[in-house]
Amino acid sequence: MKKFIVAFLFISGSITFVLAQTKDECYNCHSELGGQPAELFKNDVHFQNGLSCADCHGGNNKTDDMDAGMSKEAGFKGVPKGNDISEVCAKCHTSSEKMKSFGAKIPTNQFELLKTSVHGKLSINGKDRIVQCITCHGAHGIVKVTDPRSPVYPLNIPRTCSNCHSNSVFMRNYNPGLPIDQYEKYRTSVHGILNGKGDPKPAQCVSCHGSHGILETSNLNSSVYAVNIPKTCSNCHSNKEYMKKYNIPTDQYEKYSKSVHGIALLQKNDTGAPACNSCHGNHAATPPGISSISKVCGTCHALNAELFSSSPHKEVFDKNKYPECETCHSNHLIITATDKLLGVSKDAVCSRCHTPEKNPEGYKVAKKMKSLIDSLENAQKYANSLIDNAEQKGMEVEDEKFELRDAHQALLEAKTAVHSFNEKKFDDIVVGKGLAVTSKVAKEAQASIDDYYFRRKGLAVALTITILLALGLYMFIKRLEKKQNKE
Amino acid sequence: MKKLLQNFYKWIDDRLQVKGLVDYMGKKYVPVHRHTIWYYFGGVSLFFFIIQVITGILLLFYYKGSSDLAFESVKFIMSKVQFGWLVRSIHGWAANLFILSIFIHMFSVYFEKAYRYPRELTWLTGVLMFFMALGFGFSGYLLPWNELSFFATRVGSDIFGVIPIIGEPLKEFIRGGSDVTGATLSRLFGFHVALFPGIFTILLGLHLILIQRQGISEPLHYKNEKEIKNKKKMPFFPNFMLRDLLLWLIVLNLLAILAVYFPAELGHKADPFSSAPAGIKPEWYFLFMFQSLKYLPPHIFIVDGEVVGILLFGIAGLLWLLVPFWDRKSPKGERNRLINYLGIFAVMFIIILTILGWLS
Repeated sequence: MKKFIVAFLFISGSITFVLAQTKDECYNCHSELGGQPAELFKNDVHFQNGLSCADCHGGNNKTDDMDAGMSKEAGFKGVPKGNDISEVCAKCHTSSEKMKSFGAKIPTNQFELLKTSVHGKLSINGKDRIVQCITCHGAHGIVKVTDPRSPVYPLNIPRTCSNCHSNSVFMRNYNPGLPIDQYEKYRTSVHGILNGKGDPKPAQCVSCHGSHGILETSNLNSSVYAVNIPKTCSNCHSNKEYMKKYNIPTDQYEKYSKSVHGIALLQKNDTGAPACNSCHGNHAATPPGISSISKVCGTCHALNAELFSSSPHKEVFDKNKYPECETCHSNHLIITATDKLLGVSKDAVCSRCHTPEKNPEGYKVAKKMKSLIDSLENAQKYANSLIDNAEQKGMEVEDEKFELRDAHQALLEAKTAVHSFNEKKFDDIVVGKGLAVTSKVAKEAQASIDDYYFRRKGLAVALTITILLALGLYMFIKRLEKKQNKE
Repeated sequence: MKKLLQNFYKWIDDRLQVKGLVDYMGKKYVPVHRHTIWYYFGGVSLFFFIIQVITGILLLFYYKGSSDLAFESVKFIMSKVQFGWLVRSIHGWAANLFILSIFIHMFSVYFEKAYRYPRELTWLTGVLMFFMALGFGFSGYLLPWNELSFFATRVGSDIFGVIPIIGEPLKEFIRGGSDVTGATLSRLFGFHVALFPGIFTILLGLHLILIQRQGISEPLHYKNEKEIKNKKKMPFFPNFMLRDLLLWLIVLNLLAILAVYFPAELGHKADPFSSAPAGIKPEWYFLFMFQSLKYLPPHIFIVDGEVVGILLFGIAGLLWLLVPFWDRKSPKGERNRLINYLGIFAVMFIIILTILGWLS
C-alpha cells in the first residue's frame, strides 16, 4: 500500500511538473535562449510552487509568440525597478489567502515591517526604499530560509548583511558614523566562531536585530535598544533546552535582573547602566578574560579599577587566577556594594581570604578600614543630628550643611579608596578629610545650638534691665507728678 | 551728682542757649482726657524710625546691594556677624511695627479731627510720611533677594503697571527695566537707604517743628468744656516725654522678645528663572489692596477691573491726604458724622480685607 502511495505521488508530481513546463511559454523560451535568470529560476521556490515569470514580470505566458506574450496589451511590465520590486513580492506575501493557497505558513506582515524599518527609509535616489526584498533574498533563485543555499539561512546571514554593512562606500551614504567592522568582530565572537563552524544555532545578525522590522538601536522598540538588550540575549541564553549543548549556565538574566545594574536599567530605565553587551561586547560578544575583568568594569568604574590595578591584590589575584572584581562583587548578580562587604565579619568578603591565622596583616588592615569607615559614618550622622537640632531651633546652619557635603564626599572617596587596599591612603581620606570636616561641622553646629540658648539668656538679662529701668522711670514719674500736684 | 549735672547743663546753656527752648517746652501742655493714650503713638512711631535708622546703618556695614551678593551678604549677617541676626530681626520687626504704629497714629488723629485748622500741614506731612513708610517697606522687602521677596516685588510692581498712562513708564522706572532684575535691586536699595530717608527726615523735621509750634491738638469736646478747671492737662516736658520714654522701653522689650523668638527668616535665594511659589502675597500692609483687586471682576463696564480698583485707591488716597480741606465742619467745632463713618468704614475695610487676604 505504502509503495503504491509513493508511486502515485511521484507520478502525479512528475505529470504536474511536465505540464507546467509545457504551459509556461516564458520559461520555455528563456530556457532555450539560456541565461542566468531562467537557470536560477529552475530551483526557485516560487517556480516549484507553480508560479511563472509572468506572475512577477507580467505578460502572457500561454502564447509562444514572443511579441504577443511580451506586449503591453498582455500586461508585460519588464524588469521591476526600485519599490516596484517589493510591491511585486507583496502582491502575494501580504495576502494570507494566497499564501495559504500555496500551502505556505509564513507570516504576511514582512512588507509592512520592512516599510517601517530602518531599511524602509528612502534611499539616496529619494524615491525608493533603501532595501528591497531581493536585496537579502535574491531574485530568481529564491529558496526557503531553511535551505542552506539561501542567503538568509543562519549560516549565510552574516555575509548577506555584510554585503552592505561592511561596505564603507555604501554605508557612508546613509550613516557615516555607523561602524563597518561588525562582520569582522562577529567572526571573533563566540557566536561567530560557532556559526563559522557550521552551527546555525548561535546568534547571528537577525537573532538580535530582527529581520524585516529592523529598527535603529536608538529606537525604544528596537530589540537592541539598551533596555531591551538583556531580554533579547535571554531569548537564547535563558532557554535551557536551546543552550543544553553548550553547557553554560542559563540563569544570567535572572541574576542580572536582580543586580544593581539590572535594577537600574530594567526598573529605573537608566540607559547609562550596563546591559549584557557593556561587559561582553556586542558583535564580538565573548566572556571577558580573568585578567581583563577590572579593565571591563573599569570602563565605568575607572577609579576603582585603577586603584585595584596598582594594589597588592592585582598580582596575587593574577597568580591565583582569581577573576578580579568578580571575586568580591560577583558577576551577573552584582548587588549594591555596602560597608558590610568590608572588614572581617561573617558577611564581609575580606574574611574569605584574610583570617588571623592565614593572613594576619591583611586581616588587621581590613578590620581597621572597616572601623574607620564606621567612625566616619557615625561622625557624619552625629554632625547631621546637631545641624538638624540647630535648624529646628531656627538657627542659620546653611554653611555647615554645605560643609558636611565634604564629609559625604570623603566617605565616597574612602569607599573607592578601599580598592587600593592601602592603609595609609585610606587613613588620609577618612581621618584627614572626612573626620576633620565632621569634627569642624559638629563644633560649629554645637556653637549654633549654644548660641540659641545664649540668645534666650541674653534676652532674659536685657528684659530684666529694661523692666527695672521702666519701673524706675514709672516710679520717678509718679513721684514727680505727686510733687507737681502738691505744688 | 546733681551739682555735676547742673554744671554740665550750664556749660551747654552757656554755649547753645538752650534754656529758652527748655522753658518753652516746659510751658507746653498735653491735654489729658480719655483718648490721651493715642497721643503716644506719634512718639512710638518716632522711636521705631530711630531704631530703623540705627539698625539700618549697622546692616549697611555688611550688606551688599547686588543680585550676586545680596542674599549671601544677608546670610553672612545672620550667621557670622556678631549679633547680626539680632540687628536684622529687629530691623524687620521694627519695620512692621513702625507701619502699624503709623496706621494707629494716623487714624487716631483722623478720628480726633486733629488735622483741622491750623494743623493741615501737620496732617499733610504725616500722611506723606505714611506713604513713604509704605515705600520703605516695599523697597526694603526686596533687599534680601530671596525667593519670596523677588516674586512679591514682581507682583507688586506689576500692579503699578496697571495705572493708566503713567503705569508702564512708572513700572519700568521702579524696576529699572522690563522685569525685576539686579537693576531693580540696586534701584530699590538706593531708594531705601538714601532717597527715602532723606525725604522722610525733611518731612519728619517739618512735622515735629509744626507740632512744637502749634502744640498738641485738643479734642473738640475739650474745647467746649465750660469750666477751665475741667480741662485737665500735663506738661509736655518732662511729664509727657518721660511717659513717652516709658512706653519706648516697653516697646523695646516687645521688639527684643519678637526678635529672639521669631527671628527674621531668609529662605532660598531668588531664582528669576524658577516659577513663582504658590500663594505669593505682599506684606500685610499691602494685603488689603491686593485682596480688593482680586475680588474685582475682570471688566467693569468697558474698563479693566484692576484699573478701576487702582483708580479708586488713588482717589481714596488723595481724599485722605486732603481731608483737612474738605471737612468744613470740624474746624468750626461742629461734629462731622460723615468723617466718622468714612473712618470706621476705612478701618473695617482694611482689617477685613487684610484678614481675608491672610487667610486666602
